[in-house]
Amino acid sequence: MQRSFIAKNPSVLIFLAILALFTLLVTVMSEGFGVGGISTSFIKTLGKTLCLCLIALAMDLIWGYTGILSLGHFAFFGLGGYMIGMWLMYERTRLIVVDSLANAEIPPTDGEVIDAIGNQIFGVVGSSDFPLIWAFADSLTIQLALVLLVPGLLALIFGWLAFRSRVTGVYLSILTQAMTLALALYLFQNDSGLRGNNGLSGLQNLPGVTASQDYVSLWFFWASAAALGAGYVLCAWLVSGKFGSVIRGIRDNEARARFLGYSVETYKLVIFTLTACIAAIAGALYYPQAGIINPAEIAPIASIYLAVWVAIGGRGRLYGAVIGAAFVSLLSTWFTGGQAPDVNLGFYTIKWVDWWLVLLGLSFVLVTLFAPKGIGGLIDILSDRRAAKEASQ
Amino acid sequence: MSTLLEVSGVSVTFDGFRAINNLSFQIGEAEMRAVIGPNGAGKTTFMDIVTGKTRPDEGRVIWGEKSISLLGMNEARIAQEGIGRKFQKPTVFEEQTVQENLLMALKKPRGWFAVLTYRPSDADLAKVDDLAAQIGLTDQLTRTSGELSHGQKQWLEIGMLLAQEPRLLLVDEPAAGMTPAEREHTTDILVEAAKTRAVVVVEHDMEFVRRLNCKVTVLHEGAVLAEGSLDHVTADQNVIDVYLER
Amino acid sequence: MRQLFLAGLAFLAACLISPGLGQAQTAAAIQPILQDHQALIVKSSRKTIGPAIDAVAASGLPQAQTVLEVWAAKNMWQRKSDGLFFIGEKIDSKTYALTDFDSGESVGEFAKSELKQLKPNSGIRALIGTALVQFQLSDPNIEARRAALLSIERDPEASLLAPLRASIEAESDPALKAQKQRLERLLTIGYDSDEAARLAAIADMAGDLGVDVRATLNPLLTTKRDVVAGSVPEGANIAAILTPGQGDFDRLSAYDMLVAKDLAPVRISQADIRSELAAHIEGARVGGVPVAKLNTEGNRLTAYTALAEAGAVPAFVTDTAIDAALAAHTFFDAYLEPSEAVTDAAAQALKDIELKVGLNQTLDLTLDALSLASIYFLAAIGLAITFGVMGVINMAHGEFIMMGAYTGYVVQQIIPDHTLSIIVAIPTAFAVTFAAGVAMERLVIRWLQARPLETLLATFGISIALQQLAKNIFGTQARPLTAPGWLDGAWVMNDVVSISYIRIAIFILALIFLAVFLYIMKRTRLGLETRAVTQNPRMAASMGINPDRVNMLTFGLGSGIAGIAGVAIGLFAKVTSELGSDYIVQSFMTVVVGGVGNIWGTLAGAAMIGFLQKGIEWMNPSNTLAAQTYMIIFIIIFIQFRPRGIIALKGRAAGD
Repeated sequence: MQRSFIAKNPSVLIFLAILALFTLLVTVMSEGFGVGGISTSFIKTLGKTLCLCLIALAMDLIWGYTGILSLGHFAFFGLGGYMIGMWLMYERTRLIVVDSLANAEIPPTDGEVIDAIGNQIFGVVGSSDFPLIWAFADSLTIQLALVLLVPGLLALIFGWLAFRSRVTGVYLSILTQAMTLALALYLFQNDSGLRGNNGLSGLQNLPGVTASQDYVSLWFFWASAAALGAGYVLCAWLVSGKFGSVIRGIRDNEARARFLGYSVETYKLVIFTLTACIAAIAGALYYPQAGIINPAEIAPIASIYLAVWVAIGGRGRLYGAVIGAAFVSLLSTWFTGGQAPDVNLGFYTIKWVDWWLVLLGLSFVLVTLFAPKGIGGLIDILSDRRAAKEASQ
Repeated sequence: MSTLLEVSGVSVTFDGFRAINNLSFQIGEAEMRAVIGPNGAGKTTFMDIVTGKTRPDEGRVIWGEKSISLLGMNEARIAQEGIGRKFQKPTVFEEQTVQENLLMALKKPRGWFAVLTYRPSDADLAKVDDLAAQIGLTDQLTRTSGELSHGQKQWLEIGMLLAQEPRLLLVDEPAAGMTPAEREHTTDILVEAAKTRAVVVVEHDMEFVRRLNCKVTVLHEGAVLAEGSLDHVTADQNVIDVYLER
Repeated sequence: MRQLFLAGLAFLAACLISPGLGQAQTAAAIQPILQDHQALIVKSSRKTIGPAIDAVAASGLPQAQTVLEVWAAKNMWQRKSDGLFFIGEKIDSKTYALTDFDSGESVGEFAKSELKQLKPNSGIRALIGTALVQFQLSDPNIEARRAALLSIERDPEASLLAPLRASIEAESDPALKAQKQRLERLLTIGYDSDEAARLAAIADMAGDLGVDVRATLNPLLTTKRDVVAGSVPEGANIAAILTPGQGDFDRLSAYDMLVAKDLAPVRISQADIRSELAAHIEGARVGGVPVAKLNTEGNRLTAYTALAEAGAVPAFVTDTAIDAALAAHTFFDAYLEPSEAVTDAAAQALKDIELKVGLNQTLDLTLDALSLASIYFLAAIGLAITFGVMGVINMAHGEFIMMGAYTGYVVQQIIPDHTLSIIVAIPTAFAVTFAAGVAMERLVIRWLQARPLETLLATFGISIALQQLAKNIFGTQARPLTAPGWLDGAWVMNDVVSISYIRIAIFILALIFLAVFLYIMKRTRLGLETRAVTQNPRMAASMGINPDRVNMLTFGLGSGIAGIAGVAIGLFAKVTSELGSDYIVQSFMTVVVGGVGNIWGTLAGAAMIGFLQKGIEWMNPSNTLAAQTYMIIFIIIFIQFRPRGIIALKGRAAGD
């Protein structure tokens, strides 16, 4: 029992090895550092997929392990993106403004620079003043801290309210959905201070970095891979010990856990806030690769898709969440991106752009009905069979 | 013998129905007590009140030497005070092994951070082995508890309660659905436990109660109808009326 | 003798020709009047035409109206030979038939070259129109009188007051008479020259809720902002004396007013300083300050002051100077209306009206909220049934609503009559969604019993598929579901309170649903079984109730009601594939807030959400997005205090 955590969890090593191999392969095939077999835009897609895998891990932790079906984790993902986006947009605009004012006859005052940045950023919503929430936008350090603090605090407050009043099950799911809807609606306003439905854009450009996107995309890809690896280890560590036992206990029998003396509400709050922070980190890495973030990203539907990925991948096992997110989101990109060939039935042509969602919806129903453990369950069956075979030999 | 738990003048109403009506009850340390009564007498509600699941409309629930009030504490806090509760249906964490179940129940800090950094020591593991031996599940330690038989689950739950090292054990119909041999084992476990702590057993089965050989409290319509030895209460005319009426 | 003879002959001729002509001649003809003003009429200038029109209008002759109408319609022609005016009617391109105004008889056909058409410009036509009003106001045709009143209402004018007053007495239609009297009061307020009459009219109309009253009173209170040196001028009707820097009247705009009236020197803004400095760079220095150092406002001011002292730029106006200038002047708002008594009375009357308007708006808001609540009730009731009885959250509920709306649309394509099609659509929608609900229960939900989260997700999968399917079938553009004609329009109580008939119909529909639901639950076998299954499924099963059948029927019922709700919602909202998802969150909120397993809870929840939403919108009308945000936050907090909703089951029955 006293063996090290990694030794107890060989699957973590396998996962890290696969992730490292994949990262190396992509790097070798990239246009920036390698032979150029994978386009830069596809590297971005892969990097984004890694971020989605990370938030899927968070979802698995909260849903698969703790049994709380949160339909609002994309709110934290989005907020993380917004927080880093504020710095990216501010700093880049500042550089552009300073650059354009450098040739002026009279050097600009600080006030003039700020006004010009404000005009650039908030012109689209008919304003030029910086809202209060942009107070720290000029500091990368503070905004990075806010990536964790803002979503974490929101999760803490919401979770405290919800768990304290013992809202559980579908009620809680609906409430989390309401939370993300409220946030999305709020951000859709022009005077929300975050540019309304325009959102933040130009995030793919790192301020002060002159390297081409071929390289920048790879940097973010590496960062995403590192975050996913770290996240996986963290999650595996969490669920493997007694803490994991307790949260699974809460999932399976809340009353028993409570009468054993575990403060169920506190544990839920901790795991809710922690997963919100993981989601926020994933978002902060995702949106610089996407280049743009707007309130539509955190509409309730996004969080529900998250649940779909985890369910299809297989919840209650970490690799299931990763597989589900990667598989479904890449497939979805392929189908909706128009790359999938149409199927001509003679009397009707199936356009995948139109029919993909129907397919996804129905396959989701089928998975829930017939394979509640998802793809991960399939892997279990295979490995059980092999184990059985080895045992019989 | 000093009083461990004192319930006095407690009433609770659900939608106009008086489930507990001015109930008073006390139990000392290292005492075994059986609570019997017809359906709807308020036995389970009584347990709910003591363990913090239900808030009474009025009355007091006083605990321990320091005479602290249990009202206003949540279930987890009360459990940490040293009150263990066994449900009527076996409730164990079915997806986890017997060992994991027992480890979780061991008397250790319950805070999330302490739990996060907890790694079982050899002493803890030895204790778990001890407990497993006590409840007769030594061979089953690595099995998933969902695979256990009904009786084994009941024992595991009692084992988990013992691992908590509570000062008061509330046990709801432990013998329900057990074979005679299993019942005997259960009685042994409970009697053994009552040597070092207070045990309250809610039970229907008179035979089982007789074997426990302890003081009996009869509840009826949310209040204490009679109290004393089993022979004493079964001779009580009120008790006879209530049971015959049924 | 000869004269006598001629006169006798003329009389005889007059009698013989026609009674009309005789009458006309005895009542005098209009042609002489026109001839009197021939020069003006032919000149046709807006500035000088007044006396001519007035003369015609004031002639008191019945032909006057015809003349004015013909004139305005550009059908009046002058015969060049004698300068007389006639009604011209085109025979062909070169020939016109002329008719005499007085006799009404044709005087023959003439070549166009012999005639001159009078073409009054639009200004003149407007004047003629005004003059015509008095005739139209007394026109025997009631429609014409109504139209005349309407034109006065739209375009009130001082000159219309007198003819309007004159026409009231003789008005035969009581409704029209009341309308005329009301309009007379309003015109009196606006245009009467006598102050006492205006005050009396204002007093008469005080407390009236009509938009027209406010439209009459408000212009009286129009103010103009002005500034003078020293104290307020004599004789001005002052609305308010303003202090710069207080309220929304800031110091700089006050100072700009002074500048605009040349009462103070132009203020030098930061931008001005910047451009002046840029214009005066001399060898990398401005006013002795190095250019590189001009990146602070302080250094820029130093440089500018140096330039100003050298006389190169206008002097900088300091804050002290601005304050001194502001202190030396009086800023005030003055009414355009000179009479103080009138403005006071108008302000008071408006205040009274505002109070009444406020009360009525509250009533209107209540009606709005009630109607919104009934919509949410309709949308949520099906959800509440399935959630209450089976503990199942049906995420596809919104898509059932959408399905109902599309069913209504399809039915309307087959049956063009709107009334009939709605009557057919309601049961059809029920049947379609009932079938869909039963199918879904049998194929999916039954297999996920006691796994509510899985059910939620599976039904969500169905929701995605159905929504996309609807998009594939009906396209993304909105489809119309037209309400029958008798549901058009609104029930108007006054200018403030009104509610459209569709919303009333939906309210009634919600009441019917409530009644039907209560009947089913309390009086039918299905209701009994449903209640039994809700309270204790195992016990119900052991009593011979088939829970599967009950679940199936309940689910079908819930879905069917969603279908009918869809038809109702489709009548006023756009039918798109997203129709359902627009209502689903509110429906969830309704169920959650109301509490599960109780129709009254759903009702209370719908009422609360409806009233809350309208209330928040009223407080912050510009921003419906914020309103929804605040509402959801409120609900999250509400759940803190009533986690099981407004009407909750208590005790052990509530379970865990």
